[in-house]
Amino acid sequence: MDEKIDVVVVGGGPAGLNAALSAAQMGAEVLLLDAYPAPGGQYYRQPPQHLADHPTPHQRQGRQLWQEALASGVKIRSNVTVWYGDAEKTLIYHSNQGSIALHAKAIILACGTFERPVAFPGWTLPGVLMTGGAQTLLYHGVLPGRRVLLSGSGPLQLVVAKKLLEAGAEVVAVLEGSSRLLRRGMRHFAGVWGQWERLGEGLSSLATLMGRRVPYRFGWGIVAAHGEQQVERATIARYDEHWRPIPGSEEQVACDTICIGFGFVPFTTLGKLMGVKHIWSGDWNMEIPERDETMQTNVSGVFAVGDGAGLGGARLSILEGQIAGIAAAHQIGYGGTRAVAALQKLAPKVRRERAFQKMYTDLFAPGKGLFELAKEDTVICRCEGITLEQIRRARAMGASSISEVKAITRAGMGECQGRMCGLHINHILAQWTNKTPAEVGLNPARPPVFPLPIQALLLEQES
Amino acid sequence: MLRFRESSSGKEATSIHFTVDGQTYLAYAGDTIASALYAAGKRAWRHSHAGDPRGLLCGIGHCFDCLVTVNGVPNVRACQTVVEPGMVVTTNLREE
Repeated sequence: MDEKIDVVVVGGGPAGLNAALSAAQMGAEVLLLDAYPAPGGQYYRQPPQHLADHPTPHQRQGRQLWQEALASGVKIRSNVTVWYGDAEKTLIYHSNQGSIALHAKAIILACGTFERPVAFPGWTLPGVLMTGGAQTLLYHGVLPGRRVLLSGSGPLQLVVAKKLLEAGAEVVAVLEGSSRLLRRGMRHFAGVWGQWERLGEGLSSLATLMGRRVPYRFGWGIVAAHGEQQVERATIARYDEHWRPIPGSEEQVACDTICIGFGFVPFTTLGKLMGVKHIWSGDWNMEIPERDETMQTNVSGVFAVGDGAGLGGARLSILEGQIAGIAAAHQIGYGGTRAVAALQKLAPKVRRERAFQKMYTDLFAPGKGLFELAKEDTVICRCEGITLEQIRRARAMGASSISEVKAITRAGMGECQGRMCGLHINHILAQWTNKTPAEVGLNPARPPVFPLPIQALLLEQES
Repeated sequence: MLRFRESSSGKEATSIHFTVDGQTYLAYAGDTIASALYAAGKRAWRHSHAGDPRGLLCGIGHCFDCLVTVNGVPNVRACQTVVEPGMVVTTNLREE
């Protein structure tokens, strides 16, 4: 038997938890589906049992929010994969009990992000990992390596570098791709200080780095990783204003681990599958859903919130979640004038937070040079092992779209479903065909949204 | 060993044993397969189609570069799978 429910929230991070709580507080029946063992997303990620006695402030906040949601009647299902959705507001998710279909009156997508993949020579070597991946190891009390180089942009790098130092690793250097902070920075710095939680945390981490004499270099970044079986060395260089390595500025750095943290990419596949209209954000070079002021998309009753709908950090995610939760409940008959009043109160807060989002974008949005680090023999599609040269040959054979490249080379056909190579192929095709990235587009969304065992496609007929 | 924190309050952590390609590894309750392998200094546990070694990349379940076989079930993400006692993990890593 399929389930019918008022509001389904997909994703248990700051946006999703707040959306679920707000909708429940207005009186709606709410179900939250989350991919992880416990709600919290990456921001409120809970520690493993043996390290649970001294939670960080974020972990405490997350746990409190989760308890509050449960107390307000939100039902939470963890460890599930939502793999299908449509404009009729049907969702199908898979758990170890099989697949279950849900019919919702409203759906709030809070699917979060993944870190921006950047293809450079040597990036498939073990020991190259994304900064967030290094952070998950640290949560488990495990070091990603002993001599760590960080290259990327934004304050998360500083936060992770500090944690690495405290855990006993040597941090070789932190390379910040953007030099905009130096060129037009201090004015921005002052505006963002203390307001942007993560940047504030980044800045306080900076003091630790300075104390330990860790080089923090603006306008520098990764060029290549070297090693036989794993990372042994990196080539780094000064980046110009478009983040292209400046010839002659290269340096060699000995390290066993390279953390790559060039910002985040919203996970939009489920929304696209449901018919949500997406627009190309030129600033961030990625797709984001189009929304009205209540976070509702073009599909009536489908809302999109948080970093998965446009990068804005935890504070904006929380506000967007609250707005969507209230608006969704209100749309299906709950909350009345109380809901309207609550929405009016939240609107100016969102406007304020969006101003900080704009500043952050100005400072840290990635430069196009990142797409030019790959050499002809560099793997672009990690799953299928497809190199830049192979993609270039596909272009020579006439391929001008992502689908045609995929059909000829298999790039984007692997287990990650094009998440790791899609933006890179988009960029080079746009360059080679004189189109805009929006015109080239990305892989169309098709179910299942994540790879599944074949048994998962058989719907449970009994509830 | 790359484990810098065994427990948060001196309290004994529950240790768990599991095997990877027949070799026994130690994990703590809550460890993922990936964190337990990293703790043991193992960073490559897969060969790509082209034959190059791979391990962890994104660490949050999106890149599918860390796939292993768990208790006979193929294509399981090591970064998302919490270790259970007696778990049998196999990899496609060829002999070095």
